[in-house]
Amino acid sequence: MGAMRGEDTRREPDETRNRPGRINRNFFLHIHAARVHLHSLRTDYTFGLGIILGFLFAVMILTGVILLMNYTPSVERAYNSVKDIVFIVPGGRYIRNIHRWAAHAMVLVSFLHLVRVFFTGGYLGGRRLNWVFGVVILFLVMFMNFSGYLLPWDQLAYWAVTIGSNIAASFRELTDVLGITQVLDIGGFIKRLLIGDENVGQPALSRFFMLHVVFLPVTLMVFMGLHFWRIRKDGGISRPPDSNAPKLSSWPLVMWAELALLLMTVAVLLCMAFLFDAPLRQEANPAFPENPAKSPWYFLGVQELVSYSAFAGGVIIPLLFLAFLVSIPYVDREDRFTGIWFSGKQGGRITWQSALFALTVTLVLVFIFIRYGWLKNWFPAIPRVLVMLVNPATLSALLYVAWAKWIGDRTGSTRMSAISLFTCSLMGLVLFTAIGIWFRGPNWEFYWSHAQWPVF
Amino acid sequence: MKHQNETGQTRRDFLKRISIWIAATAGILASASLLRQFVPRRTLHQKRYKVGRKSDFPVNTFTYLADRQLYVYRDHEGIRALSAVCTHLGCIVEKSEQGFLCPCHGSCYDRDGHVLSGAAVKNLPWYAMYRDPDGQIVVDQGRLVDPDQKLYL
Repeated sequence: MGAMRGEDTRREPDETRNRPGRINRNFFLHIHAARVHLHSLRTDYTFGLGIILGFLFAVMILTGVILLMNYTPSVERAYNSVKDIVFIVPGGRYIRNIHRWAAHAMVLVSFLHLVRVFFTGGYLGGRRLNWVFGVVILFLVMFMNFSGYLLPWDQLAYWAVTIGSNIAASFRELTDVLGITQVLDIGGFIKRLLIGDENVGQPALSRFFMLHVVFLPVTLMVFMGLHFWRIRKDGGISRPPDSNAPKLSSWPLVMWAELALLLMTVAVLLCMAFLFDAPLRQEANPAFPENPAKSPWYFLGVQELVSYSAFAGGVIIPLLFLAFLVSIPYVDREDRFTGIWFSGKQGGRITWQSALFALTVTLVLVFIFIRYGWLKNWFPAIPRVLVMLVNPATLSALLYVAWAKWIGDRTGSTRMSAISLFTCSLMGLVLFTAIGIWFRGPNWEFYWSHAQWPVF
Repeated sequence: MKHQNETGQTRRDFLKRISIWIAATAGILASASLLRQFVPRRTLHQKRYKVGRKSDFPVNTFTYLADRQLYVYRDHEGIRALSAVCTHLGCIVEKSEQGFLCPCHGSCYDRDGHVLSGAAVKNLPWYAMYRDPDGQIVVDQGRLVDPDQKLYL
């Protein structure tokens, strides 16, 4: 007893000196587990994507709060207040640029994170629910971006949200076919709920401001909390079950790793914001859209899809994709290959075969569409339903599903089936987005390069 | 002493259950009435408005009225009004050789507003027109008419 008390007194000065470190550590260990698997620290496994997303979100909040001080959410003032931020507020342009690039990075990193977790089987075992939280976060991030770009009230803002709200209203295409639009106008209801009127105006701006600044960030925080909490509950991030790698003390190893990622993330953002200005077009003009009216790059895939059909491309296919993502961990119940890239050799082979299949199928369909026209050009009297339901996007999706079914039958494995469908969808998404970004010009016509665009 | 009925339910069980039901009903009704605030009840969108006098519109031309997103066509007999809002996703269609072309996703319409190609599934609507007692021409977006129906002037 006496000896122990002696020890305590000897340690005391040391403890006092370490107190800030201890408090730090306590907060740090409040979020992290005390011990961590060596495998979880491998950068070629996680690439740090999840933690980068967390940092990006922190940057978004910080820069967002700064921007809020000079922004006015009114139709008369919004555009000019953003102009003030860019041209008058000291450093305002820089803060806005950081906000912009962090937002784009969030979309990109969310998708990469999804891909990483999928291909390493990170959704298996007890992690099924956390995968669903992750999908919710992905869609919240997309919606955050969508609500954010109405706020500057420039031409891009106005027409992107007009198009977006009319995609919601395209349920009318379905109810028209059924002949019940007069009784049950679901599309019109969703549109009015979203933008508060028949056309984009002050109610839309107020609603999107509320969504962007209050509702979505808070919801995102809740889901991020759930996501992190599940990681700890599930025993850390996924790893091969047989890995006998030693467990290490999180402090200070994980702290250094995360600090490095934070510095890297911030450094990249600062450089991007310094080099590239966030665009601000002309003030919103409801009388004339821009030509071409292109949304930011991450929505150009959907924009390409809606150029085939509003309802099929803007509602059916995104909903099917969402349903597929959510259902993955519940359809694939094979608890093998957790933490192994592509579930081993067979999965790797199926991944690149599926990518090649999707590439070919979609390119051929799009080639026919662009070169020879489509049903309406060939059979002018064709029924509306066929115009709506048969197009390169829906046919691609159908062929992807058939391919995944065939793979599933051939290998007898739901995992391989899931890998092939996921790879195909991803390939399709990348392809349609690339077409939208680089090969579409005025009137949404096909051009090999921007240099061929006609001059008005 | 516990009061039980034939099924073994005590008075306390009954009170507990009924208070949960009452609270749930009150909660649902309150939320429903609050959620109604999200549904807009007033619109800035005008369905009937004056577009000007006959002399404002040149003959045999589609005149674009920017603030109404409307094309007005006048010929030697009369005048007609065509919506300029693409039925696909709401952009404004431009005049083209065949008729009209949407810059956003390339839907084509002929001069009567019928879909020629593209993702649009509905034709551009023609609106009814009237003459106001003060001599101005009125467009009524609430009433759709056939492409050949004119307001004779």
